[in-house]
Amino acid sequence: MGKIAIIDTGTYYHHRVIHEDRFGHFFDQAIYIRDLCKTNLSAITTLIVPCRTDPAHLVAHRKLFADFLNDGKTVVAMGSTGPDKWLDDINWRFTPTNFWWWKEGGSLNLEVAEPEHSLFDYVKLADATWHHHGLLTPPAGATSLINANKAGSIFYDDRVTSPGRKIVTTLDPMYHHGNHFMPATSRFLDGFLPWLKSQ
Amino acid sequence: MGICLFINPIKGAGDDLPDIGSHAPNTAFVDQYDLDKTDLSQFAALILPAHIDQRFVGTRSDQITTFLDQGGTLVFNGHVAWPMLPELKPFVPLERQSLENLMIYRVNHHPVFDGVDCNDLTFKRGVAGFYARGSNPPPDGAIPLHVLGKEQLVCDWLYERPKGGRILMHSGNDLWMYIGSQNSTSRIVPQLCAWAGGE
Repeated sequence: MGKIAIIDTGTYYHHRVIHEDRFGHFFDQAIYIRDLCKTNLSAITTLIVPCRTDPAHLVAHRKLFADFLNDGKTVVAMGSTGPDKWLDDINWRFTPTNFWWWKEGGSLNLEVAEPEHSLFDYVKLADATWHHHGLLTPPAGATSLINANKAGSIFYDDRVTSPGRKIVTTLDPMYHHGNHFMPATSRFLDGFLPWLKSQ
Repeated sequence: MGICLFINPIKGAGDDLPDIGSHAPNTAFVDQYDLDKTDLSQFAALILPAHIDQRFVGTRSDQITTFLDQGGTLVFNGHVAWPMLPELKPFVPLERQSLENLMIYRVNHHPVFDGVDCNDLTFKRGVAGFYARGSNPPPDGAIPLHVLGKEQLVCDWLYERPKGGRILMHSGNDLWMYIGSQNSTSRIVPQLCAWAGGE
């Protein structure tokens, strides 16, 4: 089975995800962001960039991520990390974040785009529904798993633009779980991390 | 009036830090990883955001302690997760995040919260929980300012250090999230900067 590493930016919300009991055991290695350039990733097969990691600190590692993918490995880019700035072939656009749809009687209009995908053996759409930060246009040949408003993707699986795999989302569950806020985000991680481990 | 030095948090993929300068005249800004190159003696207050790299702040413990010993003011926002200063203990979340437990009560008055209605702290668009969801436990001798629910969990406190300096704790999201608000919380930022600047 592959080994999963996650970047740790030293924020309290990453601490809760990475170093506390509920999810800590999913990670074989936590890599402090300022140590990323000197970390040996040879044993790591999946590298997670958690929500709200500052893209300013990832741009310098563009080549590291590209090399990691060229080795056939998986990069997971979570929401609010500006993946278009540090990964190739990412088309992300800003959209106003609708935090209040559930209070205003509206809907995020999310839909499962690929119901047979194994992710949905682990994650229910309801547990991926809180808000999202922008929309993605998946590259040709990649598979969108969740679409929003028929306007774009908020979660896709790209096995085509590199020898590796990019899992890209505009969801930010780690940030909100880390804030003890929004129980759906914790339930999302309850499914998402075991799914990732199963890959 | 002295200058309040705000540490710029991560920029995420959006504009996380609102324009504080237009709401208080005595502000300066520095990126978090430039803290070690900053002469703190020229500032009255050091203001740490919730999004900061606490692992890095922990490496600046001596610098911040010296700043406090010389009479400086430290304002901390967020949940304490990593060792930083002897006065800061790890965050304790509410055991049950019921509406009753999320109510904010003022137990001592303080100039930063002068004229701020506790109902405006408890509720945002009718939803409770944005202000605080637990406590960074106060050191012995600290004055509690705001508490949560019937458990009286102290979420805001002021500590006048025996060796000099003072620490204002807010165990929640950045207090400047209230910039531009349409209720009494709009008083917080100008009052925070005035108090921290030694007005």
